[in-house]
Formats: sequence, structure tokens, C-alpha cells
Amino acid sequence: MLIDFQWKLGMAVSSDSCRSLKYPYVAVMLKVADHSGQVKNKSFEMTIPQFQNFYRQFKEIAAIIETV
Amino acid sequence: MAGELESCKPLSGLLSGLAQDAFYGHPGITEELLRSQLYPDVPIEEFRPFQAKMRGILKSIASADMDFNQLEAFLTAQTKKQGGITSDQAAVISKFWKSHKTKIRESLMNQSRWDSGLRGLSWRVDGKSQSRHSAEIHTPVAIMELEIGKSGQESEFLCLEFDEIKVNQVLKKLSEVEESISTLMQPV
Repeated sequence: MLIDFQWKLGMAVSSDSCRSLKYPYVAVMLKVADHSGQVKNKSFEMTIPQFQNFYRQFKEIAAIIETV
Repeated sequence: MAGELESCKPLSGLLSGLAQDAFYGHPGITEELLRSQLYPDVPIEEFRPFQAKMRGILKSIASADMDFNQLEAFLTAQTKKQGGITSDQAAVISKFWKSHKTKIRESLMNQSRWDSGLRGLSWRVDGKSQSRHSAEIHTPVAIMELEIGKSGQESEFLCLEFDEIKVNQVLKKLSEVEESISTLMQPV
């Protein structure tokens, strides 16, 4: 079960392997509880195209769940 | 022997091999392997500084994520340098970067990501008729499976359930992200 959804929009500017990274990314932190009630934090990153796909799919879910 | 090194045919192969090692993390691309495959008649003492020079040039180009104007200026400067490159070699390097730029950049982006990335997403919507935890009937629920994983590691699968309220709460947050992205992407 999802308890909380936090997000951050970041821009990776530079790194030791690439001085000119310049890529934006969306970082997500999910707080999830399993059936026993134990709460865990799960984090992951998405590129902008990945995020846009994620958002589009969520909109599809919302549209469907409304009609069920 | 210098003539051998100036020959452009194996240079493309050398750049590929160097990219495999420096950017894609492919193991086993040794100096000796590259020499024996591509420049078998060149002694190692001559090959070593040559491949180091090419590696340095490739890394500079990738690190600065050069566009084509910057690339041309950079390579022209390299041809004018003492101990630099020939204009034929510059042409080979230019062609290589143009065809590999996107893939190399993606590889560098992945190297800089230390958190898990989203690898996959699947979902379905169930019309729940009965629940062990409550007496609700006909409550639709969305079940989503997220596949996440760190570079080079096995995937972890997260299975999440959302009722309609939760879906809309998350959707609202996602629209906030979208708004932020639009603000970020606006030309300054």
C-alpha cells in the first residue's frame, strides 16, 4: 500500500566522468507498507521521457478506475 | 611506422574499442588486444602513446558533450598542435562522434545515476467485490507493478495497490512535477 509519494525534479550538471551532463531527472521516494504494516522507503529516478510515460499511464489508470 | 598509425582504416575500430572500454564498461579491452587486432605491425612503445592520445581526445569530446561546431573547432585545434592529429584522423573522429554521441551520452548518464532507475511498469484495474480487511463492495483498485534496479544489479519489483482516491492524489502530484518540468524547460 502506498502511504506517501514524494518527488524531486533535479538537474545533473556535471560528474567526474562527464563535465557537461546537463540532464534533468525526476527522483521519486515512495513510502510503502506491506500487509504486516511494515513501512519501507523505496526511491528511484526517471528520465523526463520515462516520467512522461509514467504520468500518461497514471492518467489512463485514473480514467479507467472512474468508469469501473 | 608512423605511416601505419596515420592510416585511417583501423582508427575507426580503435575508437570503437576505446569507447567500449571507457564508456560502456566492456571488460577485457586491453591495449595489447587493440594493438594486435588493429595495428599488428606497430610496436607497443609506439602504439601506447598513440592510443592514449586518441583516448584523451575522445574523453574530452564526450566530457564536454560537444556539439558539431565545438567538435570542428576542437579537432581543427588538434590538427594544428605539435604531435596532434592529421586532418584525415580528425575526419574519422568527427564521423565516429556523430554516430555514437547519443549512445555514449546515455552511457555516461547511466554511470552518473546511483539510485535505482525505473526499468518497467505494468498495471491493471480490478473491480474488487470483497475485501478481507473491510466489507466494501465493488471498490475498484489499481494494481501497479514497478520494476526498479540499480545499474548492473538485478531488478526489484514493487507491487502497489491504489484505490480511486489514492490514484487521484498521486495524479495531482504528478501534475505538479509536470508543471515544474515545464518551468525548468522554458528558455531563460
